[in-house]
Amino acid sequence: MASTIEAEGLTKMFGSLIAVDHLSFKVEEGEVFGLLGPNGAGKTTTVRMLACLISPSEGSAKVGGYDIVRNPLEVRQIVGILTENPSLYERLTAYENMDFFAEAYGLSNAQEKRNRIRELLEFFELWDRRNDKVATFSKGMKQKLAIARALVHKPLILFLDEPTTGLDPESSKEVRDLIERLSRHEKRTILLCTHRLEDAEKLCSRVMIINRGKSVIVGTPDELRDRIAGQPTLQVTLAKLDQKVIEVVKELDFVRVVNVDESTSRLIITLDDVQSTTPDVIRSIVYAGGMIISVNVLRPSLEEAYLRLVRGNRVEDSESHTCL
Amino acid sequence: MFSVLLPVLIILIPSLASVPGTTLSGLETMIRNLPKHVQDELAGMTEQQVMIYIMSLYFFAPFFLIIPLMASSVIAADSFAGEKERKTIEALLATPISDSELFLGKILVSFIPSMTITVISFIIYSIVVDSLSSTIFNGRLLLPNLVWILLIFGVAPTVALASIGLTVMISAKVKGFREAQQISVILLIPILALVFGQVTGAIIFEPIMVAALIGLFAIIDSVVFKIGVKLFKREEILSKLA
Repeated sequence: MASTIEAEGLTKMFGSLIAVDHLSFKVEEGEVFGLLGPNGAGKTTTVRMLACLISPSEGSAKVGGYDIVRNPLEVRQIVGILTENPSLYERLTAYENMDFFAEAYGLSNAQEKRNRIRELLEFFELWDRRNDKVATFSKGMKQKLAIARALVHKPLILFLDEPTTGLDPESSKEVRDLIERLSRHEKRTILLCTHRLEDAEKLCSRVMIINRGKSVIVGTPDELRDRIAGQPTLQVTLAKLDQKVIEVVKELDFVRVVNVDESTSRLIITLDDVQSTTPDVIRSIVYAGGMIISVNVLRPSLEEAYLRLVRGNRVEDSESHTCL
Repeated sequence: MFSVLLPVLIILIPSLASVPGTTLSGLETMIRNLPKHVQDELAGMTEQQVMIYIMSLYFFAPFFLIIPLMASSVIAADSFAGEKERKTIEALLATPISDSELFLGKILVSFIPSMTITVISFIIYSIVVDSLSSTIFNGRLLLPNLVWILLIFGVAPTVALASIGLTVMISAKVKGFREAQQISVILLIPILALVFGQVTGAIIFEPIMVAALIGLFAIIDSVVFKIGVKLFKREEILSKLA
């Protein structure tokens, strides 16, 4: 059974509103693929279509090799989903929630079910609270329990909708570490919906930025930064600014712009290709007598790239669905 | 209350039949519509015995159809509407439980406790009636009899399933629990018509009539279930999330 996701022209209309507009993408086995976009971009609607909760208006998709329209039961069997709301039964205990959903996902063998529930609750450090009603749990604990529930039947494909929303930094990190482990060590395919750039940057091998239902751009976080927010710059901090050093750097063929920050004795250099030309720049500065204190490559942040896109700033090739 | 207070009152009230001015005139229509063999049996009874016999075996019989409806209405109305309000429905819909399994599950979660209450109520009612009336009937036990067995174990479950099925369907369509409960009250009307019919003597629960009711409601149950599953749409339920 494949553990990939393929969407082709996936569209969802609610009346005249186009919530998802001809999305096409493929997620490979073991990949963490991010759907990044502002509120109302169509992320949750996309996940609901792929999880066979709602049907597409147009287009098609396959999840784990199963068609989402023709084989919805099979899709739901192989997918684990963390919904936008944790959707936990607050009047039941943690164990009862896990037990109910384990049964719902087909774990009928009592011993296997008990072992699996214990394994997950212990992993999420909820075992000691297994007999407490979920209503008494903190937000972070509920989120962890909801993720545990999504994993109870060992799905190969996971849909995680805003997994760190509302969590404190410590809990967010725990969830991110878990997602990384699921992808890297357990080779699960993960579709991650988020509007948190930190999550997308740290977790996703590729990100699709969507806005108003449309795919704006797809690529790795590095590619998106380079493509949208521009090339990284080289920041060289000197012990003392020297005009001769500045002139030498400006005259280099591959240097486009040199900005000088006199307050910090810093040169901010825009290059054609940071990767290959940084050693030459450093060598030139040293030969010209410059005393280098530190060298940094400043990458434009994914946040800058993202904000530029969703606020509609000019982006090269933004009209086409650009895949990098 | 049905099971204890009512039979107590039923057995005590007939003692007033011996007070001048009280008669069985209010039950004449019902007595006239009883099967011939029952009328023949009543002819050999005292007024007190007739009163107890009619009231405990016929007059209050249809009220036991209301018990499962009332006991199940809240749970059935809450089945999908409550989950929508509490935002727990999405994870349930995301499971590989089929539409028919979901629908049936929601019906059973109302049906089982309501029928349990009904059967227990009937057992208590029978014990109270028999305890209080056995001396009046010279040791004869009035309950259970064939009609009551068919009523409790045949009519009540089939009526309950039809009502619960319709209420669960409504629950899946509306936004919230209150709406579902208010609309489902309408379903009591046909049952109240049966109750009224029996109380006034227009309808008498005798074995053939009861068997016909079981058959009729069994067909209705089947139709309700099929339509309920057909109309069940996960997308529509999610679109009505509060």
